Amino acid sequence: MIRTEGLTRRFGARTAVEDLALEVREGEILGLLGPNGAGKTTTVRMLACLLAPTSGRAWVAGHEVGRDDQAIRRIVGVLTETPGFYKRLSVRRNLLFFAELYGVADARGQVQRYLERLGLWDRRDEVVATLSKGLRQRLALARALVHEPKVLFLDEPTSGLDPESARAVREFIGELASERRTVLLCTHNLPEAEELCSRIAVLRTRLIALGRPDELKRQMFGTRVMVELGNPQPELARAINLPFVKAASLDGSILTVEVDDPDRDNPVLVRRLVELGAEIRYVSRVERTLEDVYLELMEGSDGPA
Amino acid sequence: MARLKVLVRKEWEELFKIKMVIYGSVFMPLLMGGFAGFMVWQGRGLPSGAQAALFNTALMYFLILPVMIPVTLAVYSVVGEKEQGTLEPLLATPLADWEIFVGKALVAVVPALALTWGVFLLFLVATHVMLGGIPPGLVSLPWLLSIFVLSPLLALFGVLVSMLISSRTSDPRAAYQFSGLAVVPSLIPLIVYSARLTAVNLLLVALEGGILVLLNLGLLYVAVKLFRREEILTRWK
Repeated sequence: MIRTEGLTRRFGARTAVEDLALEVREGEILGLLGPNGAGKTTTVRMLACLLAPTSGRAWVAGHEVGRDDQAIRRIVGVLTETPGFYKRLSVRRNLLFFAELYGVADARGQVQRYLERLGLWDRRDEVVATLSKGLRQRLALARALVHEPKVLFLDEPTSGLDPESARAVREFIGELASERRTVLLCTHNLPEAEELCSRIAVLRTRLIALGRPDELKRQMFGTRVMVELGNPQPELARAINLPFVKAASLDGSILTVEVDDPDRDNPVLVRRLVELGAEIRYVSRVERTLEDVYLELMEGSDGPA
Repeated sequence: MARLKVLVRKEWEELFKIKMVIYGSVFMPLLMGGFAGFMVWQGRGLPSGAQAALFNTALMYFLILPVMIPVTLAVYSVVGEKEQGTLEPLLATPLADWEIFVGKALVAVVPALALTWGVFLLFLVATHVMLGGIPPGLVSLPWLLSIFVLSPLLALFGVLVSMLISSRTSDPRAAYQFSGLAVVPSLIPLIVYSARLTAVNLLLVALEGGILVLLNLGLLYVAVKLFRREEILTRWK
């Protein structure tokens, strides 16, 4: 649904996005992670035909950026990082304006549907200036969706929201994938990305990692197993000597072992430890978070974004 | 065209909720029309030469109006988008660059001309009532050309200046003050007529019209460049 090849954008001497090659499948939620200035918003702006690429090519739903910009604008919805509204106009009037600009056939009906869906129908006649940040964010989502776009670009959709509002927005985004909409989600909120996204792209001007969250964790850290011992012996970690063990360390009574595939490797590991005279109390998997992956990638990538 | 209508309708709805805009767009034209009427009232019974001089000055109010009205509207139309952070969502829609530019310009030009011409019509009616008829000088060719040809050119000039200045500032008051400079071309004839260097005549109207056409073409060239999506997103303050 979205494809980029060597997509690059420079602002004078500064390169915001370099040589980005990415593919997002229909109905997929792809998380775009990266520090401030990593090029996430610039990428979204290029794909939404707001900025022209300096070089490279991109396609959205088969339409090429720079050639079919009007066609792309009709089928994408954009939620900007700080979504503004016409504050003196009512909630309904704001949404109706955008529905009409997109040429929605039954604009009034569609506005009502989305205001109801996002719990804003009761506030429809209030001017936007009176809405809380959480409600404005919901209205911004309604605006991004009012013309039923196939592709959605969501830039920090839960930024600055209280936990309850953020949860409501996340649940709504989750529903979008079930409607076969393709979503590119820029976020700093790593648990959110892990919860919502089928794949993650980590950007720091260049694409530095791409994959499913569990894949990335495995690629970065393998899988760690924690073994609690009744009789810890200092030489045990070195004595394991199995081909699938990438690393092992003992800290007090806890032996931490990195293996390739715990389902396959753990029984062998346990047998080996028993052979070595270890008294095993518990064996458990050490869960790595996406945040661990992200921080590791950021440390490994060169220089500030 | 449909999108243009949608944009213009929304702009008017929004702009006419701002007191400053209502003041500038409705109160000022009535005040200016009142001043012009007062000039005519003062000219009752005066010799025709003195009366013509007063009428010349009265005309000037109708040349200031088409610049003054759109300045307020254009400033708020552009700065308002920036203040409210609505530019990016607007640019993400299928609106073409030219539609955004033309829409914003129409929002300001149409009410300016409608009000100028409306107040001029009221002025003629009031003059007819006060003097028992309309002196031929008030509906002469130079007067009519001033009202119906110079006014649109002046309104366009005011809008272009205001839009260009507004694109470079996020403070509506600063934009409004700087855009006030757009009134200068309409003051030149006022100085000429007030100093009694000459009466309203075809040559002066043609000269000012020609200068305004050239100025507007130059401003349009700059404005079209400035109203490109990328320019708006990356360069507008």
